[in-house]
Amino acid sequence: MQKKDHYVIIGNGPAGNRASEIFRENDKNARVTIISDEGFPFYYRHKLLDFLSGSISDESLQVKKHLDYKKNNIRLRLGQTVTKIDPANRVLFLKHMEKIEYTSLILATGGTRSILPSLAGFEKYFSFMTNYNEALALKPALSGIKKAIVIGGDLISIKFIKMLINMGKDVSFFLCKEGFWPIELTEKMSENIASRMKKEEIKTILDDYPVNIFQTNAGYEIITENGEKIKGDIIFYFMGLKPDIDFIKGSGIDTAEGVLVDEYLKTNYKNIYACGDCAQIYNPEFKDYWISTGWDNATLQGETAALNLLGEHKIIKPVPHKIFEVEGIKVNTSWWKEIQE
Amino acid sequence: MAETDIVIEICGSSGEGTISAGEILARHMSRLGFEILSFDSYPSEIRGFGKCVAHCRISSKKIMSPGKYTDILIALNDIHSISQLSSMKENGIIIYDSNPLSFHEEDKSIAGWIEPGITAYGIPFYKLSQKAAGNSRNRNIVALGAFAALFGINDNGFKASMEQRYASKKKSIIESNLNSFTEGFRWTKNNITKLDNLFFKKPETGNAPLKRLMMNGNQAVAMGALDSNLHLYAGYPITPATKIMEILARELPKKGGIMIQTEDELSAIGHVIGAGFAGKRAMTATSGPGFSLMTELSGLSVMAEVPAVIVNSQRGGPSTGLPTKTEQSDLNLALAGGSGDSRRIILAPADVEECYKCACLAFYLAEKFQTLVVILLDFFLSNSIKNIKEPEKPDKKMLNANLAPLQDEIKDYKRFKVTLNGISPRSIPGTAGGMFIATGLEHNEKGKPCYAAETHKKMSDKRYRKLSGVLKEVPHPEWIGPKKNIKAGILTWGSTAGAAHEATLKAGESGIRAAFMRPMLISPLPVEQIKKFSDQCDVLLVPELNYEGQFAGYIAKYLERPIKRLNMVTGLPMSAEDILDEICKIAG
Repeated sequence: MQKKDHYVIIGNGPAGNRASEIFRENDKNARVTIISDEGFPFYYRHKLLDFLSGSISDESLQVKKHLDYKKNNIRLRLGQTVTKIDPANRVLFLKHMEKIEYTSLILATGGTRSILPSLAGFEKYFSFMTNYNEALALKPALSGIKKAIVIGGDLISIKFIKMLINMGKDVSFFLCKEGFWPIELTEKMSENIASRMKKEEIKTILDDYPVNIFQTNAGYEIITENGEKIKGDIIFYFMGLKPDIDFIKGSGIDTAEGVLVDEYLKTNYKNIYACGDCAQIYNPEFKDYWISTGWDNATLQGETAALNLLGEHKIIKPVPHKIFEVEGIKVNTSWWKEIQE
Repeated sequence: MAETDIVIEICGSSGEGTISAGEILARHMSRLGFEILSFDSYPSEIRGFGKCVAHCRISSKKIMSPGKYTDILIALNDIHSISQLSSMKENGIIIYDSNPLSFHEEDKSIAGWIEPGITAYGIPFYKLSQKAAGNSRNRNIVALGAFAALFGINDNGFKASMEQRYASKKKSIIESNLNSFTEGFRWTKNNITKLDNLFFKKPETGNAPLKRLMMNGNQAVAMGALDSNLHLYAGYPITPATKIMEILARELPKKGGIMIQTEDELSAIGHVIGAGFAGKRAMTATSGPGFSLMTELSGLSVMAEVPAVIVNSQRGGPSTGLPTKTEQSDLNLALAGGSGDSRRIILAPADVEECYKCACLAFYLAEKFQTLVVILLDFFLSNSIKNIKEPEKPDKKMLNANLAPLQDEIKDYKRFKVTLNGISPRSIPGTAGGMFIATGLEHNEKGKPCYAAETHKKMSDKRYRKLSGVLKEVPHPEWIGPKKNIKAGILTWGSTAGAAHEATLKAGESGIRAAFMRPMLISPLPVEQIKKFSDQCDVLLVPELNYEGQFAGYIAKYLERPIKRLNMVTGLPMSAEDILDEICKIAG
């Protein structure tokens, strides 16, 4: 008996989920599997702060319930990590020592936290807010925090700081313009942000930088380049996301910052496509690669990648450079525009 | 303080130490003061790759049934454990080997089947066992170390329990096991972040350590037999009764008794009846296929009025059937197996404590009523381990129940004298003047064969009449729940009783008028009490582990009313949840 096609999608975000829907709609008999290293079902990442503050429940955070996948005969493997891909033999190796064979593969792994090399040695002291598990772990600790240090930034960090201030916390904010995401800040932009933060009575540190961090009995102490000592109960670190592709490197699939794909989202293997925040897409016009961010872009790319794998020839066009949407965060967009002005 | 009530399953392949890990765990949790009910299932083949499951319910309150849904699954073998996932609670916990020797093929890894709501902890059992013991044999003990670390169980106490368990082993084996436990415990402490909220809350046992005996139904029967002055055990090995024989082979000679492994079951019952005739307490234990063979000679015990005790631990049938699966399908055979009107006494214990009681009672009843007593265990009861309080030993009356002939009766001795209560004075061979003819043929009062219609009628009356006295000797069935206006009345027997009792209590908590009754004495049946109970029930539900509803059929002739049957032949004990579902349907 001929084996059924097995479409495997690594990543349970908007790109991966849209791709799975396209596969199921177009091929009723195939096996469709989504693998995600997160244990929580598909959720609105941009609502994590609302979840953390308690304004929404984890129920409201979910886009799709586990049962929805079962109804569609999509196998959802949550909390499972792919550690290696063997594209030649079309096999995935999972961390829990299971092999999975696929006929077609979509890489939709999204982004993972990005750490500046100069601060990488202090990672163990940082608290992050890039996924559900991190938000869940932070939730009980949040009420006990009096003084927080935020090293940032990205657009989420700015919203996060506002949330801390509203909760009555004392916040010190390191604005790291060189690590800002998704674009590099100009001098003027940085000043605009700093001035806006100061208006909100947030201690914003613009021209100084952490060089050493200690854990103390009371929390943490940061020593800056200028010799300042800044103390806090907790250090939050927000420096945007980078494509989550470490496990793909060395597999034979071409990568740079992200997974390199053509304008059809195809990698250098004909049965492997990449989409969403992990993909670095070729722009034939500029003869260069670009990375897009945002929920809607990811959804469109998931759809395109799946359709192309099924035989269509749809092209993804580069997103205009000035439209920024980070994980669907709308709230900061106006702010952002204001800063740009 | 919230009560602890947790079901743990350890699942592995034959030879992986699944059952022994379950035993160690159960014993230690018992030492900590918890109530324990554990039950193992394993393949009938002695060695191979079959599935073994050590199932253990640990509670701070009284346990009546093993519990249907699992809170914690320790997966020593992925493929077998995957088949246990359907009985996991939605928020259950899985502990699995995160670093086996080689990659699993697709869908053969339990970690690949973990659904949202389940918390999974991957522990490198194989690697840690290699490190601690130099081989992979101690993966089960590594898993126990991980279990202790995850659920806040003191490691030193656990290790002390293990040392006790392995006391008879070589020092190197003890050390290897202790090291393996420590590796599992330490690795888990250092590497695993606890994501669930489950802890074992130590029960209040005061300062004195809890004195409990850990035993299964077979051990309890053997202990009861030993305490009842058993003199001869004759048997042929058969699952699930063999353990009784093994214990008695070791213990009976110490008390001056004899254990004989006979060539078959026919010979075994022959030995028992022979010893009974000689005035010695004797017993055999078997299962369905062996019990079938014994039916011919068991009639001799009835006809010749010789005390004999048969323990029948039921397993799935017919024929050799399902040797390691539980069932209650030998009731018809126990009630009516054999030729003629050979009514006998049947006792059906519900739990381990009652296995002891029934063993003691069986010898007393067999001796007093000079007949055959059958104790109906089943695979589940034989193998379920409970920590029980030390049972009360039989008193003098229980140990010496023979009605010896008086001096003036010896002069013209009538061994089968027709008396008011049907019990005739019995002389033991060697009693001066107490000689008589003992035969399987119908006989007159002196024992001489006689086929006259009048004699047969008179003797049949006598043999049946004496059994009515049994009803006064066995405690009346307990009536649990409301005494009137019962929506659902549950009437069951044997090991299904615990689940039925628990289901009834749960139904009561939900406002359903449900009541429960279970006779320990199956034959003669305490009809009066059962009728009273039945009269108060709108619906009478009879749950039991057989296909056609043998007990329901048996009581129907006495009750003359519709009976709702709940029959299961899954090879597993019935759960409180199964019965509760049925009660809820009845209650609407």
